[in-house]
Amino acid sequence: MNRTRSFVLLAGLSPWVAGCRDTPQAKAREAQAVEATRKQELARRLAAADANPEKPAAVAEWLMPPELREISGLTLTSRGTVLTHDDNVARIYEVDPKTGILLKGFSLEGGVRGDFEAITTAGPDVYLLESKGKFYKFKEGADAAQVPYATFETKLGNVCEFESLVYEADSTRLVMACKKIRGKNAPHEVLIYRFPMPLDRATMSTLTVPIEDISGSTKWKDFHVSDITIDPFTKNYVMISSREKGILVLTPDGDVVRSGPLPGDHRQPEGIAITKDSLLLISDEVNGRPAAITVYRWRP
Amino acid sequence: MKSDRPVRRLVAYYVIVAIIVAILAYFFPTEIARIAAKGLGDVPEGPSVLTDALSSPDTSVTFGLGSILGVAVNTVLILIGALVLILPVTWVYMSARPSGGQHNQNVVQTLVILPMVVAGIVFMVQNSLALAFSLAGVVGAVRFRTTLRDSRDLVYIFLSIVVGFAAGVQSLAVGAVVSIVFNFVLIITWRYDYGRNMLMPTAAAQWSRPLNALASPTAEHQVPDRDLMLSLTPEKVNALADRFDRVRNTIGKKKKARYNSVLHITTDKVPEAQQQVEPVLDRMTKRWDLDEIVTNVGKPSEIFYLTRIRKSFPRDVLLTAVHENANGVIVSADVETGEVPEGKGSDKDKG
Repeated sequence: MNRTRSFVLLAGLSPWVAGCRDTPQAKAREAQAVEATRKQELARRLAAADANPEKPAAVAEWLMPPELREISGLTLTSRGTVLTHDDNVARIYEVDPKTGILLKGFSLEGGVRGDFEAITTAGPDVYLLESKGKFYKFKEGADAAQVPYATFETKLGNVCEFESLVYEADSTRLVMACKKIRGKNAPHEVLIYRFPMPLDRATMSTLTVPIEDISGSTKWKDFHVSDITIDPFTKNYVMISSREKGILVLTPDGDVVRSGPLPGDHRQPEGIAITKDSLLLISDEVNGRPAAITVYRWRP
Repeated sequence: MKSDRPVRRLVAYYVIVAIIVAILAYFFPTEIARIAAKGLGDVPEGPSVLTDALSSPDTSVTFGLGSILGVAVNTVLILIGALVLILPVTWVYMSARPSGGQHNQNVVQTLVILPMVVAGIVFMVQNSLALAFSLAGVVGAVRFRTTLRDSRDLVYIFLSIVVGFAAGVQSLAVGAVVSIVFNFVLIITWRYDYGRNMLMPTAAAQWSRPLNALASPTAEHQVPDRDLMLSLTPEKVNALADRFDRVRNTIGKKKKARYNSVLHITTDKVPEAQQQVEPVLDRMTKRWDLDEIVTNVGKPSEIFYLTRIRKSFPRDVLLTAVHENANGVIVSADVETGEVPEGKGSDKDKG
């Protein structure tokens, strides 16, 4: 008799408990509800920023959920959203930078662990880069999916520590800047490796820019590249440095276009992307402040 | 909490826990994933709205009633998870003791409490190097000096620390696998007396030194009296005297060793096994004697035969014959050969 009562009680409670559940459908409804409002608000802030171009200010700062507290690289998708990832586990998330909605997340098969530092999209493929120069190539997955992947070893791990990667569509090559050149007497320069597609170590080329050419009015003795992206308007390389808290713009030939401090207050900037509608996105890992993607108006 | 059927109880317990976890995971997937498999590759399903720090600047301050409640719920879940995983370990600890061995209640209680303490510490320390160093300093100031009676107890303590760690880093799935595998491996090794040397005395460990000295094949049989006085109580002296009387009666008055091996049978059907095994012994040994039948609860009983195997029948042949004759009746059979040198000439009589 007691058992029957327990089952009846459980059956009665189940729908109530199920209703409280954070279902994907409930989350989708909530996202839909705020989408339009947020787009309007962003448009208003952008108009205000455009009215005052001398004073660069953030137009949005999306705080990341706990699973992205160690957010790293950023890359744009063809839909105008960005893909970002966790630093320690190969989990990729899609965020809409205009609405601050985390659209989906997927991971590489088997929950691959590593020191993942940068991400880029190259057509239908996505490349994730480990700090020792290993690429993970995969296709974008559905929400909560696990996707298969292939790897490519650049064997540059003993030369450089990497945190940046971008796909240069015009010349169909992957571009990765060295964060730190290994060795006691390493030269003070920005060293960039370029891998034409298909990936082959034999066709790799390098570009070096001495720090003297970069520092200009800054007091930088080095520039530790945290991420790199390509300006969609000028096709220049745009790099940021977490240590120097600076931004550097180079032409693909290595000429310095601009160098200087980052806008706003960034404790640990790890990723950069520039959208076709002139938005500069910078991701910050948790460091005294919550992890976030900050949005600015981009002026080349 | 000792059990006559420890394996069945373990299986039943884990099945019930698995069902409860499955139900909870259905209703509260995020919470269960957070404590069971944080960082193992899964990602939460469905879109989520991120907070805009520019609209609500206070959001950078994440301390509030909600966050306190969240941390509290997480902590409680972690502690419950650690408790759920360690309970069967304590049952195994209490059940799987060597014959006549008693468990230590202090160890049982330590096993229950330790993983919760470790989980709490790890949960607090994780991701903070500063806290980890502080903890090392605090622990360095508190000294633990406990001598465990049985070295196996140490393994249980290690396991409880592992479960505590797994709970603390919110990877209870790892703790669950470790705990389940540990329990079953331990139960099986206990059930089949894995690694037991049958010629070792089954008496309490403190008897072993004088007994070993007495049984020494080097003929240096002098056991200092002080060793016996240090190791034996009057009751144990009487018990030991009874055992030696029995051994004397079994061996007889001849100068040479009558037996050179022990046949160890494990079975659930003792009388049937005896009926099947003893004709084989008649055929293949010079003499044999039923030494002891140990009736076990929760695992097969044991029969020990003292034997003197014929030279024409090596050990393997005897074992094969025993298995063939008693197929289906015995669980296992083994022959342990002693190092007693065989004298010239041999007895012809049967035991």
